[in-house]
Amino acid sequence: MDALFYITIGIFLLTYIVIITEKIHRTVTALSGAMLLILLGVISQEQAIEGIDFNTIGLLVGMMVIISLARHSGVFQFVAIWAAKKGKGRPIPIFLLLGVLTAVFSALLDNVTTVLLLVPVIFVIANNLKLNPIPFLISTILFSNIGGAATLIGDPPNIIIGSAANLTFLDFLSNLGPVVLVVMIVTAYLLYLKYRKQLVAQPGTQERIMKFKPKEAITDWPLMWKSLFVLSLVLIGFFTHGVTHLEGATIALGGAALLLLLSMNDPESHLRDVEWTTIFFFMGLFILVVALEHIGVITLLAGLLLHATGGNPMATSLAMLWGSAIFSSIVDNIPFVATMIPLVKDIGLISGISLAPLWWALALGADIGGNATIVGASANVVVKGMAEDSGHEIKFMDYMKAAVPLTFVALVICSIYIVFRYF
Amino acid sequence: MISQTNYIKIPDQVGNDSKKHMKSKEIDWRVKDFMRLGVITLTPKDSMKKAMEIMIRENTNGIVVVDKKRKVVGILSSWDIIKYIVPDYLEEDKHLASFEAPDVFKTRTIAISKDPVSKFMSQPVHCVHPDSSIMEAAATLSTFHLRQLPVVDKTGHLVGYLNKTDIKLAVGMALGFKVDKPEN
Repeated sequence: MDALFYITIGIFLLTYIVIITEKIHRTVTALSGAMLLILLGVISQEQAIEGIDFNTIGLLVGMMVIISLARHSGVFQFVAIWAAKKGKGRPIPIFLLLGVLTAVFSALLDNVTTVLLLVPVIFVIANNLKLNPIPFLISTILFSNIGGAATLIGDPPNIIIGSAANLTFLDFLSNLGPVVLVVMIVTAYLLYLKYRKQLVAQPGTQERIMKFKPKEAITDWPLMWKSLFVLSLVLIGFFTHGVTHLEGATIALGGAALLLLLSMNDPESHLRDVEWTTIFFFMGLFILVVALEHIGVITLLAGLLLHATGGNPMATSLAMLWGSAIFSSIVDNIPFVATMIPLVKDIGLISGISLAPLWWALALGADIGGNATIVGASANVVVKGMAEDSGHEIKFMDYMKAAVPLTFVALVICSIYIVFRYF
Repeated sequence: MISQTNYIKIPDQVGNDSKKHMKSKEIDWRVKDFMRLGVITLTPKDSMKKAMEIMIRENTNGIVVVDKKRKVVGILSSWDIIKYIVPDYLEEDKHLASFEAPDVFKTRTIAISKDPVSKFMSQPVHCVHPDSSIMEAAATLSTFHLRQLPVVDKTGHLVGYLNKTDIKLAVGMALGFKVDKPEN
């Protein structure tokens, strides 16, 4: 058993390192590590399957199907173009409105989907304004991660936390919504200070924006109405699931089934749009973590963390916030959060302290910490890639110069919030 | 400028050989019976601007890209150039093209005009051999939705070129129409 203990830790760490270095695709790495642990007999197949959180998987798949259908109607693009027009074609109002819109979209959709939808609109609007798109892109990255922190469905780490800790959509919104709102306002103001000199109206550009007819973005009106109807139902489902006791996967997959039924669409292309590589990545991670839990490493780590903070709930929560943020700025936040969940549960078992502040600290740290570097979250990497394809490079250090101070300020706000709200 | 070296000449015997096939009673049409011998070529290092200049001057939509040894390394159609000009973010989002700033088409075209052909040519290239059957050529064109096929010898060197129009002639001949084969 001793040998297996160290072999398991070795496999887990190796998997983590390969995921960080991106030498091999993260999904292949996670699945290989997971299968190796089963083959070595660290855990049985039954234990591995029990370790996979199918509520998280179902919620992700359901939302991916709904969004894959809804985006074809053009409804999200319509809203973004409409916002640009509401900004009266003036760069600074448009810049701020697009930031807010990114945060709102990101609270309802996952972050990667949000940036995939909004970055093309940003290029078009920046071109029409004859402005450099980089400030807009940096703002989109920051707000997608900040907005995603506000709700249960806004960022995959929140989905995993909500599912594991039985926290509802309203729990997330009422605990994280207020602090996210403050972080949003402060970030918007700091971005305004930083970029206002670049965001100057060029002659003739205002008229171009004012000529936009946002409705032209909608290419399928019936699909748009059906999508909005189903999205509203899904949101109502999430707002009330504390009362109805329907789980996230039921609500999201129910919405997906209804929208497929309403649009009478060939499901094949939409099911293919589900990011199966991400789903299998989750499965691999869940298995890796359950093995680590099984051999007792997680309990050991929980004990160490409690020892370091002296078992003080406030110190433990703040350590969780900042530790998660630092970790998530380097590592993908999904594997990190998947590992932390059993650890937080163990902290509860060992010390008996209230877990709520720890869950919120974990979510805030993991979601917002991803903002610090251009590789800190999947959405950041996607925006960087899209920018490069269009001839605009977001350099690693340039991004950090803008993002690190803003992330730091955001985390300070979160720390103050946690201390005053929970202690 | 197009120099004579952009054209490839191949020995006459290929063309002469072909006539025997065509006259034989048993119809066994081969690629060499219908292919064109004068092929416009580019090298991978040539610019997008040069490629476009040749396409417009020669009124062609397809150019074969060959290396120094005349081995086929790519094929370039006006389609490839159009796709290269359209920014990825508009290709990914069909809802947005009508909102794009009016000057983007021209600025983008100029911005990429010096880019080498290797960056946007189609690869790998489907090729046929002079002795391939016309059905094989037709099947390759239809399976991969191609408009043109370079014809290469066994060592991969370019010897000719076949496009949809040449297959159309074969169809015409099969129907008994009197058609003129391309002049080589």
